Amino acid sequence: MSAENQTSGLGGLVGQSVARVEDQRLLTGNGSYVADIDPPGVLHAAFLRSPFAHARIEAIDIGAARRARGVVAVFTGADIERTTHPFPPFLMMPGLYTPLYHALSVDKVRMVGDPVALVIAESRHLAEDALELIEVDYEPLPPVATIAQALAHGSEPLWEKADGNLLYDHTDTFGDVDAVFASADRVITERLSCQRQSNQPMETRGSVIEVDPATGHLTIHNATQSTHMLRWITAALTGKQSAATSLKDFLTNKQRRGAFVSAAREFVSANAESLKKQDNAGPAAQLKKDRSFVGHANRIGLGLLGKDDYPTVMARDIGGGFGSKGSIAREDVALAAAAIELGRSVKWIEDRVENLTDGGQAREEMITVSIAVDNDGSMRAMRADLVVDQGAYPGFPVGAPLTTRIMMVMFPGSYRFEAFEIRSRVVATNKGKYIPYRGPWANETWARERMIDIVARQLGMSPAEVRLRNMIDEADMPTAMVTGPTIDETMSTKRTLERALELVDLDAFEEQRVEAAAVGHQLGIGIASYHEAAPGPPDYWDSVNPGTSMMTFEDARTTVEADGSVLIYTQQMPHGQSHETTYAQVAADELGVRLEDVELVYGNTDRTPFGIAGTGGSRGGPLGGGAVKYSAREVRRKVVEKAAKLLEAAADDIEIVDGNIHVAGVPSRGLSYAEVASAAAAESGDPSSAPFDETTTYRGHGDGGWSTATHVCFVDIDLETGLVKIPRYLVVEDCGPVINPAIVDGQVRGGVAQGIGAVLYENSAYDDAGNVQATTYMDYLIPTAMEIPDIEVHHIETLSAGENDFRGVGEGGMIGAPAAITNAVEDALAPLGARVTEQYLPPTRILELAGVIDPD
Amino acid sequence: MSTIPIDGAATVTFTVNGASVATEVETRRMLSDVIREDVGLTGTHLGCEHGVCGACTVLIDGQPARSCLMLAVQADGADITTIEGLADGDRLHAVQQAMHDSHSFQCAFCAPGFLMSTVALLAENPNPTRDQIRAELSGNLCRCTGYQSIIAGVETAVELLARSGGGERGGA
Repeated sequence: MSAENQTSGLGGLVGQSVARVEDQRLLTGNGSYVADIDPPGVLHAAFLRSPFAHARIEAIDIGAARRARGVVAVFTGADIERTTHPFPPFLMMPGLYTPLYHALSVDKVRMVGDPVALVIAESRHLAEDALELIEVDYEPLPPVATIAQALAHGSEPLWEKADGNLLYDHTDTFGDVDAVFASADRVITERLSCQRQSNQPMETRGSVIEVDPATGHLTIHNATQSTHMLRWITAALTGKQSAATSLKDFLTNKQRRGAFVSAAREFVSANAESLKKQDNAGPAAQLKKDRSFVGHANRIGLGLLGKDDYPTVMARDIGGGFGSKGSIAREDVALAAAAIELGRSVKWIEDRVENLTDGGQAREEMITVSIAVDNDGSMRAMRADLVVDQGAYPGFPVGAPLTTRIMMVMFPGSYRFEAFEIRSRVVATNKGKYIPYRGPWANETWARERMIDIVARQLGMSPAEVRLRNMIDEADMPTAMVTGPTIDETMSTKRTLERALELVDLDAFEEQRVEAAAVGHQLGIGIASYHEAAPGPPDYWDSVNPGTSMMTFEDARTTVEADGSVLIYTQQMPHGQSHETTYAQVAADELGVRLEDVELVYGNTDRTPFGIAGTGGSRGGPLGGGAVKYSAREVRRKVVEKAAKLLEAAADDIEIVDGNIHVAGVPSRGLSYAEVASAAAAESGDPSSAPFDETTTYRGHGDGGWSTATHVCFVDIDLETGLVKIPRYLVVEDCGPVINPAIVDGQVRGGVAQGIGAVLYENSAYDDAGNVQATTYMDYLIPTAMEIPDIEVHHIETLSAGENDFRGVGEGGMIGAPAAITNAVEDALAPLGARVTEQYLPPTRILELAGVIDPD
Repeated sequence: MSTIPIDGAATVTFTVNGASVATEVETRRMLSDVIREDVGLTGTHLGCEHGVCGACTVLIDGQPARSCLMLAVQADGADITTIEGLADGDRLHAVQQAMHDSHSFQCAFCAPGFLMSTVALLAENPNPTRDQIRAELSGNLCRCTGYQSIIAGVETAVELLARSGGGERGGA
């Protein structure tokens, strides 16, 4: 489409592949990523990291490092313990113990790469030189390198207060599982496992803590997916003021007290229902293991209340995250503590070795699934036993335990099950920290969709037939998943499957299969279908964990400035999703202005609305976009009201076309936004504030719903090399009305590419001693343009009853792909007797499965 | 060639985007560090610092090179082009324009490397096949897009350059 059409302002921008607003700076080298920030006099940081997977720190000698050229300071775990609080448990749930840990390790290391000391120097080179002068006396402990070792009786506990290395053990049961299993024709069971993977954004993590020498105020420039979360956790964990002083400050400052009381009242009244559902068994389970949190919580709470000045967190451009930058890095807190202590600005940019070691890992799960099935292909009940390898430290805020809750709810997928039971366990091992990675719960889809193919093969049915037979369709609606959440018309998985089946020619494929086999190639086809909560129905979060539905809120603020320009303020923190373009499309359509009249304000906690979620969880479209839509709509209403007075007309008769606000049919006597805004500003007599200014809290209630998709993958396996080629890959997805098709397609394709990497290339491997094996891109293989095929994306746009219909799409590609690919591989190798039970299928494993080489 | 001390400093002289630079650098510093920190051009990005991701790609005398693997002193006398050297004021280079038109990038951290590799590719082979594009760009990693949009961008660039009569704004 032409540039003229893109900016017509006649409405209708939503739905168009409008070219990206972000590109002008990003394609010319003028972006501003955290590594590009250099405050005057900034010092540089480097972390000393443990070479041992598991060891006691007997002593640290930093004398020589402190005296080294250019070194300003060296901090150890003991310094950090004195000046910061440990990371608190974010979510306390029945059956869960969350260990508390500091930003630097204090007396024990729990993984290779565990930070034990921080050097601050005049340059990064000098800081790294000094690392080599630090002497650490380690007393090695037996490493816990695998899930099996962690579950074994007598494994060396990572955390003294835990029950061995089992940190979470909880079973959820829905329906009479035993009865349905007993009455079904047969039970099919398989144990599936997924290797450790890593998010690996092209930009590593990084933080620049800028200290205002006059006031001590911190401005934190950080590659974070959530600016407000980072702001509050930094304030909370670095608050050193004593509890008594904080309490006194709080009680004697009437304004602060008043603000707190009214904010608390507002929070309680807005979330009354959700709060009532909170389960006290969670905190009780935590406190039974470890009471130290009470003291920290009191000091953190009082410290926050007594604080006059919170850090400002800023970010402009971020080089990807895929969940990893939504976690608060221990390094972030250590750096802030160091900057506060020194009163100097400090910069740290993670290197790739650090990122592959301590930048977050994911997905290592072992899942045993049993499906009770009748001979006609009806899947009646399911049992699952899930174990997640959390690694050495709990992710903050979202870690393995919450992920298991989402897996629990979503496990039955888009199918009718009479009953379901799942035992979820989380174990600690001496490996990198488990964090959310794009569709963090995705292995429920992988395990279920893999199992459905196994069921189909055992019953002698086609995988598509088993899916179609069991899938919830419109005739069942409204209904609910066996795990609780409401299923409405947006759960269109069956339509995506039906459409996908129309797009493939299975007869032609069977002919190709025969031809390929003649030349040593095995062809296969794999299907995977799923729905995801993006944002999910109103009862979704309470099904995940009672009392968490309050997480489904998002604010947006729309202003019209006196000069007529439009600003949209969001707590979202774009890192590749093109919010500046899509939110401008949404707002411009609502306001009847051109795309370029709208500017997005983000990445600055002093200016943006509060929200701890940042960008993640496929919330940007439905919640962020919904909030933008409603706040812009409210501003339009007020602008029209004002214009109607100026034009001496009824508000109902006013229309806005291309920024011209006029009585319908009389565009020649219209007013511009600037004219209406300046009139409103003159009337208000306050030149410092925007004449139109509306903040809307969007809760998603009644709107939104599910995003769905079906993936179909074709594979061509060379039995000589074990290489898997993907001659065709197609996705039929439904995220409701598409704001920008090119951007949605990009999200889907990027997710599928990561899924291809997950199955065929990527492995955050550890040896038996807990040594990380993949520390460079020569070992951790990110697929290139040679490995990723073209991916067809087809859209279905199911509308819901709600006014805001945008649904999330960021995670879906990655959710469906591993299942579709592994199903295709099994389909290709089944004639050779292969059964695929692992997600990771590098060439050697393919050749083993095909019987070409011996597994040992 | 004179001997350069391992941990000392040396004066290097090169041009960056046509401007002469003469600066004293620690001999252990990489060209990427000097471009970013001393010359102040932060468009050249560091993704892995071990020569795999390609985000740091610049043109050295017209040839693509990993500035993270090259010591600054090795660039003495070189003619260097970085991402900042492509556009002509507000007017995008044909490759930049094509990538914009094609929605090629998302977070765009990798974009400078892809753009420089593409400029070098099209200078050598103005009409590459899709397979050649995939092979030539396999030295650059992107984690966001799945590459399809970037390859489409290269193909669009081929068209834009052909329409503008070949070489115009195509070279570096």
